[in-house]
Amino acid sequence: MQCEEIPQRHADYLAGTLSDTERAAFQRHVAGCAACQRETESLGGIWTTLEDIPAPEPDSRAMRARFDAALEREQASARPAGRSFHWNYAMAAGVAAAALIGGIFIGRGGSQDVTALRGEVRDLKHMVALSLMQQQSASERLKGVSWSNSLEGPGDEIVTALLDTLKHDDNVNVRLASIDALRRFAERTDVRRAAIDVLQTQRSPLVQMALIDFVVETQDRDAAGALRRISGDSESDQTVRARAAWGLEHLGVQS
Amino acid sequence: MQAVREGDFAQLGVLFDRHHREIFDFLVRTTGQRAVAEDLVQDVFERILKYRSTYRGDAGFRPWMYRIACNARADHYRRKVPTTAWADEFEPADESAGPERTLEEASDAQRLQRALNTLREEKRELLMLARFGEMKYEAIAEVFGVDTGTIKVRVHRALKELRDAFLKLDSRPPCNVKKFPSGTPTI
Repeated sequence: MQCEEIPQRHADYLAGTLSDTERAAFQRHVAGCAACQRETESLGGIWTTLEDIPAPEPDSRAMRARFDAALEREQASARPAGRSFHWNYAMAAGVAAAALIGGIFIGRGGSQDVTALRGEVRDLKHMVALSLMQQQSASERLKGVSWSNSLEGPGDEIVTALLDTLKHDDNVNVRLASIDALRRFAERTDVRRAAIDVLQTQRSPLVQMALIDFVVETQDRDAAGALRRISGDSESDQTVRARAAWGLEHLGVQS
Repeated sequence: MQAVREGDFAQLGVLFDRHHREIFDFLVRTTGQRAVAEDLVQDVFERILKYRSTYRGDAGFRPWMYRIACNARADHYRRKVPTTAWADEFEPADESAGPERTLEEASDAQRLQRALNTLREEKRELLMLARFGEMKYEAIAEVFGVDTGTIKVRVHRALKELRDAFLKLDSRPPCNVKKFPSGTPTI
Protein backbone atom coordinates (compact mmCIF):
# COMPACT_ATOMS: atom_id res chain seq x y z
CA MET A 1 0.00 0.00 0.00
CA GLN A 2 1.23 3.52 -0.87
CA CYS A 3 0.81 6.76 1.09
CA GLU A 4 -1.68 8.05 -1.53
CA GLU A 5 -4.01 5.16 -0.81
CA ILE A 6 -4.21 5.81 2.92
CA PRO A 7 -6.82 8.64 2.82
CA GLN A 8 -9.15 6.46 0.72
CA ARG A 9 -8.88 3.63 3.24
CA HIS A 10 -9.07 5.72 6.37
CA ALA A 11 -12.85 5.85 6.67
CA ASP A 12 -13.08 2.07 6.35
CA TYR A 13 -10.21 1.56 8.79
CA LEU A 14 -11.89 3.71 11.43
CA ALA A 15 -15.25 2.04 10.92
CA GLY A 16 -13.69 -1.39 11.00
CA THR A 17 -14.99 -2.26 7.54
CA LEU A 18 -11.66 -3.21 5.90
CA SER A 19 -11.18 -6.87 5.08
CA ASP A 20 -8.49 -8.72 7.06
CA THR A 21 -6.09 -8.51 4.11
CA GLU A 22 -6.73 -4.79 3.55
CA ARG A 23 -6.43 -4.08 7.23
CA ALA A 24 -3.11 -5.94 7.49
CA ALA A 25 -1.77 -4.03 4.45
CA PHE A 26 -2.98 -0.73 5.95
CA GLN A 27 -1.34 -1.45 9.30
CA ARG A 28 1.91 -2.65 7.66
CA HIS A 29 2.20 0.60 5.72
CA VAL A 30 1.36 2.77 8.72
CA ALA A 31 3.90 0.93 10.89
CA GLY A 32 6.68 1.77 8.42
CA CYS A 33 5.65 5.35 7.52
CA ALA A 34 6.02 8.00 10.20
CA ALA A 35 3.81 10.56 8.41
CA CYS A 36 0.91 8.14 7.86
CA GLN A 37 1.30 6.86 11.39
CA ARG A 38 0.93 10.38 12.82
CA GLU A 39 -2.09 11.04 10.60
CA THR A 40 -3.76 7.75 11.47
CA GLU A 41 -3.19 8.18 15.20
CA SER A 42 -4.44 11.75 15.35
CA LEU A 43 -7.53 11.11 13.23
CA GLY A 44 -8.21 7.91 15.14
CA GLY A 45 -7.96 9.88 18.37
CA ILE A 46 -10.51 12.42 17.15
CA TRP A 47 -12.79 9.59 15.95
CA THR A 48 -12.64 7.98 19.39
CA THR A 49 -13.01 11.22 21.33
CA LEU A 50 -16.23 12.01 19.45
CA GLU A 51 -17.82 9.37 21.63
CA ASP A 52 -17.03 11.45 24.75
CA ILE A 53 -19.31 14.25 23.60
CA PRO A 54 -22.35 13.54 25.74
CA ALA A 55 -25.78 13.40 24.18
CA PRO A 56 -28.91 13.44 26.34
CA GLU A 57 -31.47 10.67 26.29
CA PRO A 58 -34.84 11.45 24.74
CA ASP A 59 -37.99 11.70 26.83
CA SER A 60 -39.58 8.87 24.86
CA ARG A 61 -42.88 8.85 26.70
CA ALA A 62 -43.57 12.56 26.18
CA MET A 63 -42.41 12.36 22.58
CA ARG A 64 -44.67 9.38 21.88
CA ALA A 65 -47.63 11.23 23.39
CA ARG A 66 -47.01 14.21 21.10
CA PHE A 67 -46.61 11.90 18.16
CA ASP A 68 -49.88 10.08 18.96
CA ALA A 69 -51.74 13.39 19.13
CA ALA A 70 -50.30 14.50 15.79
CA LEU A 71 -51.13 11.15 14.21
CA GLU A 72 -54.68 11.33 15.50
CA ARG A 73 -55.11 14.79 13.96
CA GLU A 74 -53.71 13.53 10.68
CA GLN A 75 -55.95 10.49 10.63
CA ALA A 76 -58.98 12.63 11.33
CA SER A 77 -58.25 14.95 8.44
CA ALA A 78 -56.69 12.55 5.92
CA ARG A 79 -58.47 10.94 3.06
CA PRO A 80 -58.33 7.13 3.02
CA ALA A 81 -55.50 5.81 0.84
CA GLY A 82 -56.49 5.05 -2.73
CA ARG A 83 -59.32 7.56 -2.72
CA SER A 84 -57.18 10.35 -4.08
CA PHE A 85 -56.87 8.70 -7.47
CA HIS A 86 -60.65 8.57 -7.89
CA TRP A 87 -60.96 11.96 -6.31
CA ASN A 88 -58.77 13.40 -9.05
CA TYR A 89 -61.05 12.10 -11.71
CA ALA A 90 -64.08 13.34 -9.80
CA MET A 91 -62.45 16.76 -9.73
CA ALA A 92 -61.73 16.60 -13.45
CA ALA A 93 -65.32 15.55 -14.11
CA GLY A 94 -66.48 18.45 -11.91
CA VAL A 95 -64.42 20.88 -13.93
CA ALA A 96 -65.86 19.51 -17.17
CA ALA A 97 -69.43 19.61 -15.84
CA ALA A 98 -69.02 23.14 -14.55
CA ALA A 99 -67.59 24.20 -17.91
CA LEU A 100 -70.52 22.59 -19.73
CA ILE A 101 -73.11 24.24 -17.51
CA GLY A 102 -71.17 27.48 -17.85
CA GLY A 103 -71.43 27.14 -21.62
CA ILE A 104 -75.21 26.68 -21.41
CA PHE A 105 -75.56 29.75 -19.23
CA ILE A 106 -73.38 31.79 -21.55
CA GLY A 107 -75.72 30.80 -24.33
CA ARG A 108 -78.67 32.04 -22.30
CA GLY A 109 -76.94 35.25 -21.33
CA GLY A 110 -77.13 34.88 -17.51
CA SER A 111 -74.09 37.04 -16.76
CA GLN A 112 -74.17 36.81 -12.92
CA ASP A 113 -74.48 33.05 -13.02
CA VAL A 114 -71.69 32.86 -15.56
CA THR A 115 -69.40 34.87 -13.31
CA ALA A 116 -70.19 32.59 -10.39
CA LEU A 117 -69.62 29.49 -12.47
CA ARG A 118 -66.32 30.83 -13.78
CA GLY A 119 -65.27 31.29 -10.19
CA GLU A 120 -66.20 27.71 -9.38
CA VAL A 121 -64.34 26.37 -12.40
CA ARG A 122 -61.29 28.35 -11.37
CA ASP A 123 -61.48 26.95 -7.82
CA LEU A 124 -61.85 23.43 -9.15
CA LYS A 125 -58.84 23.85 -11.42
CA HIS A 126 -56.82 25.01 -8.42
CA MET A 127 -57.89 21.97 -6.44
CA VAL A 128 -57.03 19.59 -9.28
CA ALA A 129 -53.56 21.15 -9.64
CA LEU A 130 -52.96 20.90 -5.88
CA SER A 131 -54.22 17.34 -5.78
CA LEU A 132 -52.04 16.23 -8.70
CA MET A 133 -48.96 17.73 -7.03
CA GLN A 134 -49.50 15.40 -4.08
CA GLN A 135 -49.74 12.20 -6.07
CA GLN A 136 -47.42 9.22 -5.68
CA SER A 137 -46.64 9.07 -9.38
CA ALA A 138 -43.97 11.55 -10.52
CA SER A 139 -45.71 11.97 -13.90
CA GLU A 140 -48.94 12.96 -12.08
CA ARG A 141 -47.02 15.47 -9.96
CA LEU A 142 -45.43 16.79 -13.14
CA LYS A 143 -48.91 17.23 -14.61
CA GLY A 144 -49.97 19.12 -11.48
CA VAL A 145 -47.02 21.50 -11.77
CA SER A 146 -47.70 22.02 -15.49
CA TRP A 147 -51.38 22.60 -14.82
CA SER A 148 -50.53 25.31 -12.33
CA ASN A 149 -49.06 27.27 -15.28
CA SER A 150 -52.48 27.54 -16.87
CA LEU A 151 -54.28 28.81 -13.77
CA GLU A 152 -55.68 32.31 -13.77
CA GLY A 153 -54.91 34.25 -10.63
CA PRO A 154 -53.23 31.42 -8.70
CA GLY A 155 -53.27 32.08 -4.97
CA ASP A 156 -50.84 31.54 -2.12
CA GLU A 157 -51.82 27.89 -1.89
CA ILE A 158 -50.45 27.19 -5.36
CA VAL A 159 -47.24 29.10 -4.68
CA THR A 160 -46.77 27.24 -1.38
CA ALA A 161 -47.36 23.88 -3.11
CA LEU A 162 -44.84 24.75 -5.83
CA LEU A 163 -42.25 25.82 -3.26
CA ASP A 164 -42.92 22.63 -1.31
CA THR A 165 -42.35 20.63 -4.49
CA LEU A 166 -39.13 22.49 -5.21
CA LYS A 167 -37.86 21.82 -1.69
CA HIS A 168 -38.96 18.26 -1.09
CA ASP A 169 -39.92 16.37 -4.24
CA ASP A 170 -37.49 13.52 -4.78
CA ASN A 171 -37.84 13.59 -8.55
CA VAL A 172 -35.44 15.92 -10.35
CA ASN A 173 -37.79 16.50 -13.31
CA VAL A 174 -40.62 17.55 -11.01
CA ARG A 175 -38.31 19.93 -9.15
CA LEU A 176 -37.09 21.39 -12.45
CA ALA A 177 -40.69 21.87 -13.62
CA SER A 178 -41.52 23.64 -10.35
CA ILE A 179 -38.71 26.15 -11.00
CA ASP A 180 -40.22 26.91 -14.42
CA ALA A 181 -43.67 27.25 -12.87
CA LEU A 182 -42.34 29.59 -10.17
CA ARG A 183 -40.96 32.03 -12.76
CA ARG A 184 -44.33 33.75 -13.01
CA PHE A 185 -44.11 34.49 -9.27
CA ALA A 186 -40.55 35.80 -9.43
CA GLU A 187 -41.64 39.24 -8.26
CA ARG A 188 -42.57 37.75 -4.88
CA THR A 189 -39.88 38.12 -2.24
CA ASP A 190 -40.72 34.80 -0.57
CA VAL A 191 -40.27 32.94 -3.87
CA ARG A 192 -36.89 34.57 -4.55
CA ARG A 193 -35.75 33.89 -0.97
CA ALA A 194 -36.81 30.26 -1.24
CA ALA A 195 -34.95 29.87 -4.54
CA ILE A 196 -31.75 31.11 -2.88
CA ASP A 197 -32.29 28.83 0.14
CA VAL A 198 -32.88 25.77 -2.01
CA LEU A 199 -29.91 26.64 -4.19
CA GLN A 200 -27.67 26.28 -1.14
CA THR A 201 -29.01 22.90 -0.07
CA GLN A 202 -29.79 21.35 -3.44
CA ARG A 203 -27.62 18.39 -4.39
CA SER A 204 -28.75 17.85 -7.96
CA PRO A 205 -26.45 19.74 -10.37
CA LEU A 206 -29.32 20.09 -12.87
CA VAL A 207 -31.57 21.76 -10.31
CA GLN A 208 -28.68 23.91 -9.07
CA MET A 209 -28.06 25.12 -12.63
CA ALA A 210 -31.75 25.90 -13.15
CA LEU A 211 -31.85 27.84 -9.87
CA ILE A 212 -28.73 29.80 -10.80
CA ASP A 213 -30.45 30.77 -14.07
CA PHE A 214 -33.53 31.72 -12.06
CA VAL A 215 -31.68 34.06 -9.69
CA VAL A 216 -29.81 35.61 -12.61
CA GLU A 217 -33.08 36.18 -14.51
CA THR A 218 -34.58 37.84 -11.48
CA GLN A 219 -31.38 39.87 -11.01
CA ASP A 220 -31.49 39.06 -7.32
CA ARG A 221 -28.25 40.32 -5.88
CA ASP A 222 -29.09 38.70 -2.56
CA ALA A 223 -28.07 35.46 -4.26
CA ALA A 224 -24.47 36.66 -4.55
CA GLY A 225 -23.42 35.02 -1.26
CA ALA A 226 -24.84 31.65 -2.27
CA LEU A 227 -23.27 31.87 -5.72
CA ARG A 228 -19.89 32.75 -4.22
CA ARG A 229 -20.05 29.79 -1.89
CA ILE A 230 -20.90 27.41 -4.71
CA SER A 231 -18.29 28.77 -7.08
CA GLY A 232 -15.64 28.41 -4.37
CA ASP A 233 -16.73 24.99 -3.11
CA SER A 234 -14.25 22.39 -4.30
CA GLU A 235 -16.78 19.63 -3.55
CA SER A 236 -19.44 21.08 -5.86
CA ASP A 237 -19.88 19.87 -9.41
CA GLN A 238 -17.40 21.58 -11.76
CA THR A 239 -20.10 22.70 -14.21
CA VAL A 240 -22.22 24.10 -11.39
CA ARG A 241 -19.25 26.03 -10.04
CA ALA A 242 -18.62 27.52 -13.48
CA ARG A 243 -22.33 28.41 -13.80
CA ALA A 244 -22.26 30.08 -10.37
CA ALA A 245 -19.24 32.14 -11.45
CA TRP A 246 -21.15 33.04 -14.63
CA GLY A 247 -24.13 34.01 -12.46
CA LEU A 248 -22.01 36.34 -10.33
CA GLU A 249 -20.70 37.99 -13.48
CA HIS A 250 -24.23 38.52 -14.80
CA LEU A 251 -25.43 39.91 -11.50
CA GLY A 252 -22.58 42.39 -11.75
CA VAL A 253 -20.99 41.43 -8.44
CA GLN A 254 -17.44 40.35 -7.73
CA SER A 255 -16.76 36.62 -7.46
CA MET B 1 -43.00 1.77 5.69
CA GLN B 2 -44.73 0.14 2.74
CA ALA B 3 -47.83 -0.27 4.94
CA VAL B 4 -47.73 3.41 5.95
CA ARG B 5 -47.40 4.38 2.28
CA GLU B 6 -50.48 2.33 1.51
CA GLY B 7 -52.51 4.14 4.16
CA ASP B 8 -52.01 2.06 7.30
CA PHE B 9 -51.07 5.02 9.51
CA ALA B 10 -51.02 2.91 12.66
CA GLN B 11 -47.79 1.33 11.40
CA LEU B 12 -46.12 4.71 11.70
CA GLY B 13 -46.28 4.18 15.47
CA VAL B 14 -44.14 1.09 15.03
CA LEU B 15 -41.62 3.07 13.00
CA PHE B 16 -41.64 5.81 15.64
CA ASP B 17 -40.92 3.33 18.44
CA ARG B 18 -38.16 1.73 16.41
CA HIS B 19 -36.36 4.81 15.14
CA HIS B 20 -37.14 7.87 17.27
CA ARG B 21 -34.13 7.33 19.56
CA GLU B 22 -31.55 7.20 16.79
CA ILE B 23 -33.10 10.20 15.02
CA PHE B 24 -33.14 12.12 18.30
CA ASP B 25 -29.50 11.18 18.91
CA PHE B 26 -28.52 12.37 15.43
CA LEU B 27 -30.45 15.62 15.79
CA VAL B 28 -29.27 16.41 19.29
CA ARG B 29 -25.67 15.81 18.22
CA THR B 30 -26.06 18.08 15.21
CA THR B 31 -28.04 20.86 16.91
CA GLY B 32 -26.76 20.72 20.50
CA GLN B 33 -30.27 21.44 21.77
CA ARG B 34 -32.55 18.87 23.37
CA ALA B 35 -35.78 20.81 22.86
CA VAL B 36 -35.01 21.54 19.22
CA ALA B 37 -34.09 17.89 18.64
CA GLU B 38 -37.38 16.75 20.20
CA ASP B 39 -39.37 19.15 18.01
CA LEU B 40 -37.46 18.02 14.95
CA VAL B 41 -38.11 14.33 15.69
CA GLN B 42 -41.80 15.23 15.66
CA ASP B 43 -41.31 17.12 12.42
CA VAL B 44 -39.44 14.18 10.86
CA PHE B 45 -42.27 11.74 11.56
CA GLU B 46 -44.89 14.20 10.36
CA ARG B 47 -42.89 14.59 7.15
CA ILE B 48 -42.63 10.82 6.82
CA LEU B 49 -46.41 10.74 6.91
CA LYS B 50 -46.79 13.72 4.59
CA TYR B 51 -44.28 12.52 2.02
CA ARG B 52 -45.00 8.79 2.37
CA SER B 53 -45.87 8.58 -1.30
CA THR B 54 -42.32 9.60 -2.23
CA TYR B 55 -40.82 6.61 -0.43
CA ARG B 56 -39.49 4.04 -2.86
CA GLY B 57 -39.29 0.52 -1.54
CA ASP B 58 -36.12 -0.28 -3.45
CA ALA B 59 -34.05 2.19 -1.41
CA GLY B 60 -33.63 1.54 2.31
CA PHE B 61 -35.94 3.24 4.78
CA ARG B 62 -33.20 4.58 7.06
CA PRO B 63 -31.32 6.57 4.40
CA TRP B 64 -34.66 8.08 3.33
CA MET B 65 -35.53 8.86 6.95
CA TYR B 66 -32.13 10.50 7.59
CA ARG B 67 -32.47 12.56 4.44
CA ILE B 68 -35.77 13.84 5.79
CA ALA B 69 -34.08 14.56 9.14
CA CYS B 70 -31.31 16.56 7.43
CA ASN B 71 -33.91 18.56 5.48
CA ALA B 72 -36.01 19.17 8.60
CA ARG B 73 -32.98 20.41 10.50
CA ALA B 74 -31.87 22.67 7.64
CA ASP B 75 -35.41 24.09 7.27
CA HIS B 76 -35.60 24.72 11.00
CA TYR B 77 -32.44 26.80 11.03
CA ARG B 78 -33.40 28.63 7.87
CA ARG B 79 -36.61 29.68 9.60
CA LYS B 80 -35.24 30.35 13.08
CA VAL B 81 -31.52 31.10 13.31
CA PRO B 82 -29.98 31.44 9.88
CA THR B 83 -26.44 32.03 11.09
CA THR B 84 -25.92 29.60 13.99
CA ALA B 85 -27.10 26.05 13.53
CA TRP B 86 -25.69 24.91 16.84
CA ALA B 87 -26.04 25.59 20.54
CA ASP B 88 -23.95 24.23 23.40
CA GLU B 89 -26.25 22.44 25.75
CA PHE B 90 -24.26 19.40 26.74
CA GLU B 91 -23.75 18.14 30.24
CA PRO B 92 -20.37 17.35 31.86
CA ALA B 93 -18.79 13.94 31.37
CA ASP B 94 -19.46 10.97 33.67
CA GLU B 95 -18.01 11.71 37.11
CA SER B 96 -17.60 8.06 38.02
CA ALA B 97 -14.37 7.98 35.98
CA GLY B 98 -12.49 9.99 38.66
CA PRO B 99 -12.04 13.75 38.94
CA GLU B 100 -8.80 14.15 36.92
CA ARG B 101 -9.78 11.87 34.11
CA THR B 102 -13.24 13.38 34.05
CA LEU B 103 -11.83 16.90 33.79
CA GLU B 104 -9.52 15.90 30.94
CA GLU B 105 -12.24 14.07 29.03
CA ALA B 106 -14.78 16.82 29.57
CA SER B 107 -12.23 19.33 28.42
CA ASP B 108 -11.37 17.41 25.24
CA ALA B 109 -15.03 16.72 24.55
CA GLN B 110 -15.93 20.38 25.03
CA ARG B 111 -13.15 21.49 22.70
CA LEU B 112 -14.21 18.89 20.17
CA GLN B 113 -17.76 20.18 20.42
CA ARG B 114 -16.56 23.69 19.67
CA ALA B 115 -14.43 22.38 16.81
CA LEU B 116 -17.46 20.54 15.40
CA ASN B 117 -19.37 23.79 15.54
CA THR B 118 -16.91 25.36 13.10
CA LEU B 119 -17.62 22.73 10.43
CA ARG B 120 -20.20 23.23 7.72
CA GLU B 121 -23.54 21.64 8.55
CA GLU B 122 -23.24 18.92 5.93
CA LYS B 123 -19.82 17.86 7.22
CA ARG B 124 -21.12 17.76 10.79
CA GLU B 125 -24.08 15.64 9.70
CA LEU B 126 -21.80 13.34 7.74
CA LEU B 127 -19.43 12.79 10.66
CA MET B 128 -22.28 12.14 13.09
CA LEU B 129 -23.85 9.63 10.71
CA ALA B 130 -20.52 7.90 10.08
CA ARG B 131 -19.64 7.75 13.76
CA PHE B 132 -23.02 7.12 15.38
CA GLY B 133 -25.54 6.40 12.63
CA GLU B 134 -24.92 2.65 12.60
CA MET B 135 -25.20 2.68 8.82
CA LYS B 136 -22.75 1.36 6.27
CA TYR B 137 -21.08 3.91 4.03
CA GLU B 138 -23.24 2.67 1.15
CA ALA B 139 -26.37 3.77 3.06
CA ILE B 140 -24.80 7.08 4.13
CA ALA B 141 -23.97 7.71 0.47
CA GLU B 142 -27.70 7.35 -0.28
CA VAL B 143 -28.54 9.98 2.34
CA PHE B 144 -26.28 12.49 0.62
CA GLY B 145 -27.04 11.33 -2.92
CA VAL B 146 -23.42 10.55 -3.89
CA ASP B 147 -21.44 7.37 -4.47
CA THR B 148 -19.80 5.38 -1.69
CA GLY B 149 -16.23 6.27 -2.68
CA THR B 150 -17.06 9.98 -2.48
CA ILE B 151 -18.56 9.55 0.97
CA LYS B 152 -15.45 7.80 2.28
CA VAL B 153 -13.21 10.56 0.97
CA ARG B 154 -15.57 13.19 2.45
CA VAL B 155 -15.48 11.47 5.85
CA HIS B 156 -11.69 11.54 5.77
CA ARG B 157 -11.62 15.22 4.76
CA ALA B 158 -14.23 16.20 7.34
CA LEU B 159 -12.32 14.37 10.06
CA LYS B 160 -9.10 16.13 9.07
CA GLU B 161 -10.89 19.44 9.13
CA LEU B 162 -12.29 18.63 12.55
CA ARG B 163 -8.84 17.60 13.81
CA ASP B 164 -7.31 20.85 12.54
CA ALA B 165 -10.10 22.91 14.12
CA PHE B 166 -9.65 21.00 17.37
CA LEU B 167 -5.89 21.63 17.39
CA LYS B 168 -6.45 25.33 16.79
CA LEU B 169 -8.50 25.41 19.97
CA ASP B 170 -6.04 23.25 21.85
CA SER B 171 -2.53 24.31 22.82
CA ARG B 172 -1.62 20.75 23.77
CA PRO B 173 -0.17 18.26 21.26
CA PRO B 174 -2.57 15.88 19.49
CA CYS B 175 -1.35 12.88 21.49
CA ASN B 176 -3.49 14.15 24.37
CA VAL B 177 -6.56 13.17 22.42
CA LYS B 178 -7.84 9.79 23.51
CA LYS B 179 -5.77 6.98 22.03
CA PHE B 180 -7.43 5.20 19.14
CA PRO B 181 -8.07 1.63 20.35
CA SER B 182 -6.70 -1.34 18.46
CA GLY B 183 -10.16 -2.92 18.25
CA THR B 184 -11.85 -0.63 15.74
CA PRO B 185 -15.50 0.31 16.15
CA THR B 186 -17.99 -0.78 13.56
CA ILE B 187 -20.73 1.23 11.98
